[in-house]
Amino acid sequence: MLKGWPQHLRALGAIFRKDLQVFMSYPVNAVMRILEPLMWMTPVYFMARSFAVDGVNIGLRAYTGTTDYVAFFVLGAAISSYVSAVFWGMGFALKNEMDTGVLESNWLTPAPLLVQMLGRSLFSLFLTTVNMLMIGCCVWLLFGFEFTGRVLPALLTVAPLLVALYGFGLGLAGVVLITNNANNIIDLVSNNITILSGAHFPVTVLPRPLLAISLALPLTYAYDAVRGQLLGTTTLMPIAMAQAILVAFMFVTVTAGLIVFGRIQDRCRQMGTLAHH
Amino acid sequence: MDEASGMHYWRAVMAVAKRWLTTYIRYPTWVISVLLWPVLFPFGYVFSMRALAGPTGEALSSFAQLAGTTDYVTFLVTGTTFWMWFNIMLWGLGGSFRMEQLRGTLESNWLAPLPKTFLAVGVFLAEALMGLVQLSMSMLTIALVYGVRLAGSPWALLSLILISIPSIYGTGLIFASLVLVAKEINGLIFFVRGLITVFCGVTYPIAVLPGWMQSVSRVLPLSHSVSAVRAVLAGGGFGTIAGQLRYLAVSGAVLMALGFLAYAIIQRRMLHAGTLGQH
Amino acid sequence: MSRAMVEVEELRKEFPRRGKSRQDPPVVAVAGVSFEIPQGEIFGLLGPNGAGKTTTIKMISTLLKPTSGSVRVAGKDAIRYPIQALRHLGTVLSGERSIYWKLTGRENLEYFAALYGLPARVARQRINALLDRFALTKRADENVERYSTGMRQRICLAKALLAEPDVLMLDEPTAGLDPQSARNLRDLIREVKSEGRTVLLTTHYMEEADQLCDRVAIFDHGQIIALNSPGALKHDLDDLNVLEADIARWDDAWGAALQERGAVNYDLRFDETARVHRLTVHLNGHLTTGEAVTELVNLGADIRQFSLKSPSLEDVFIRLTGKSLRE
Repeated sequence: MLKGWPQHLRALGAIFRKDLQVFMSYPVNAVMRILEPLMWMTPVYFMARSFAVDGVNIGLRAYTGTTDYVAFFVLGAAISSYVSAVFWGMGFALKNEMDTGVLESNWLTPAPLLVQMLGRSLFSLFLTTVNMLMIGCCVWLLFGFEFTGRVLPALLTVAPLLVALYGFGLGLAGVVLITNNANNIIDLVSNNITILSGAHFPVTVLPRPLLAISLALPLTYAYDAVRGQLLGTTTLMPIAMAQAILVAFMFVTVTAGLIVFGRIQDRCRQMGTLAHH
Repeated sequence: MDEASGMHYWRAVMAVAKRWLTTYIRYPTWVISVLLWPVLFPFGYVFSMRALAGPTGEALSSFAQLAGTTDYVTFLVTGTTFWMWFNIMLWGLGGSFRMEQLRGTLESNWLAPLPKTFLAVGVFLAEALMGLVQLSMSMLTIALVYGVRLAGSPWALLSLILISIPSIYGTGLIFASLVLVAKEINGLIFFVRGLITVFCGVTYPIAVLPGWMQSVSRVLPLSHSVSAVRAVLAGGGFGTIAGQLRYLAVSGAVLMALGFLAYAIIQRRMLHAGTLGQH
Repeated sequence: MSRAMVEVEELRKEFPRRGKSRQDPPVVAVAGVSFEIPQGEIFGLLGPNGAGKTTTIKMISTLLKPTSGSVRVAGKDAIRYPIQALRHLGTVLSGERSIYWKLTGRENLEYFAALYGLPARVARQRINALLDRFALTKRADENVERYSTGMRQRICLAKALLAEPDVLMLDEPTAGLDPQSARNLRDLIREVKSEGRTVLLTTHYMEEADQLCDRVAIFDHGQIIALNSPGALKHDLDDLNVLEADIARWDDAWGAALQERGAVNYDLRFDETARVHRLTVHLNGHLTTGEAVTELVNLGADIRQFSLKSPSLEDVFIRLTGKSLRE
């Protein structure tokens, strides 16, 4: 019998494969995952067009330095989709398994819950990446956009954010365990946080009170820095500083997430919340 | 139909509508979504538009040329509010039969000695009434939060909303019937919703669309509802929106008829395949 | 004999095979069944899951159109005039979800009373009477989701009786009930019969059919393989002795050996709690019970205990199909 990390890696693999199999058995879902974002992209494209003066978005240029709203939006959407992938991957999978009653049978295996959560999110990350690439291609073909910067440094900016999101997602998953209401919580949190952080627009357009909240969210700097790197937009602060903030954020959320999740898991086992489903 | 069964059917319709409303009122979680969503949903778009307009409104003239107004906030939130009305209807009416089918209450309703269409009429009435309540509440919230003002005739606005009901709920009934056999409700809803978002000019003036898309848009009743409500808010009266009212009346009649026809066909089909179609 | 309240003739239901081409033969859920139920009788459809009982009930209750055959309820053609037939029919479908959990018990009954066309005043009286009779008055104004399974089943029964139907149909009425609630429900069903109503029920519990039904139709693979009163069905097995034995270990060769020696039939189940194989052997004159036990011991079987029983409907089923019903 495998022990320690090799065993955990095997468990990770198994969870990943199971999720993939389940996903593949719903082909309609897979198609919808491509079509749906395109349906959301179309109105954005035409909205930008309706503000174009002689075909150029001069308003956006005055705010950000770029005229390419589609590229601006696509980058935002890409980061947002990772945010919700981590949230959904963890919280929703947990809720789903609670409802269908398989949670306990997973829980009964010796793989620590943490490993199981990780496995689940790994799958949704993989799915998101494949999805993003395909959608990116479609959007590029339909509407066209252009990156002026290099992709690799931008990925390095996002990496600590992803880890940080895991920490956040863990804490959230813990909350899901006790409230049983994943849909609403996740929808509320992921939607509003990404919008406030500037997924769709430069946060500088926000009125002051909202801008203050926005600047307090580390996610804001991820959107900002990645756009600065890839589109050459004017950023809120030097990119290196934004990167430093994201790394610090990563350490804080991971530590906090682990603590919260651990506490709640203990409580669940004591109170037997699991058995309610 | 003799008089006694006429009374019976009418009572049944009212009972279905009452049951529907009771559940609504007893579980008022929808109130939160009705009050919160109309405000939160346009949020991202409002600020995107602000960014596109530019710090000094340098791009506004371009928008005004297409939309006929520089007030992009009112333009947007009226679009999204009507879009949400349609959306709530899709989930409510579209999901309702499916939910009853899954739970098993559809069958126990169908055991009652009356034509099954009357059961659909009851649901239809209750959903339309609730939809109106929700729409009014949404309009009130956006008026408060986004400062939308009605400059035109309130009677024209009211007639416009009432005359939009058959087309919206007729579509819903077709949809609800399809869901009973297609089962995959989420995919269908996303599809219809996407179609509406793209073609009905919710977040942008239809004039910005390429020609063929504008033709599609002109067929969809919701585009007419949205453009008419914008016209009334901007100061229009019955005269301004007469064309839209006519189109909505005709398309509403057609869609209602199609809706009940679809329900009748699907219901007959289910009598052959079993209501859950297990085989 | 009083007039037939339910007449089913050559009733057949085929479902097209899913995802297959049209040439493939359809699934035959019910393969042409016929029976008549006179007024005031409790008639049971007995058989394993998937034997076609529920499909038959659904065709009688007009929820499903038969492929061929005819159904009459209280003399009304249920296929051509479903609404007329439904006026004489009260149906309790299986499962507890045929009522609204978010409404109270009373609201549910009021709702369905309107659907059945009862005037409000009549409805109120009947609802009060039914709630009283089913001991639900105290909790009538609570949401059904807070009811126990037994209470929900009683509300469903009350709902079916609202329109004072001539025929009451119940699909697996006691499934999922605890023994006490199941007993109560069976008493209520007997009461319904005593009012002169006709009762048609499906069950896969032998004992229930045995105790409750005046006549039983045994279903297997969409067909009725036997139809008679429980007593008469068992009487046909009069020559039969039934040996039941708990055995620690089982070898299929032993069964073959028993049949070679003259046992009519045998059936084997594993009892999870006692962790033994429960062997049922049907014997007639050719092999006596004593000989059968000796034979088993000689073969090396570790018999923990054995007993002789009188034949039950279960044994009728084993005899007819060669398999046990409880699978």
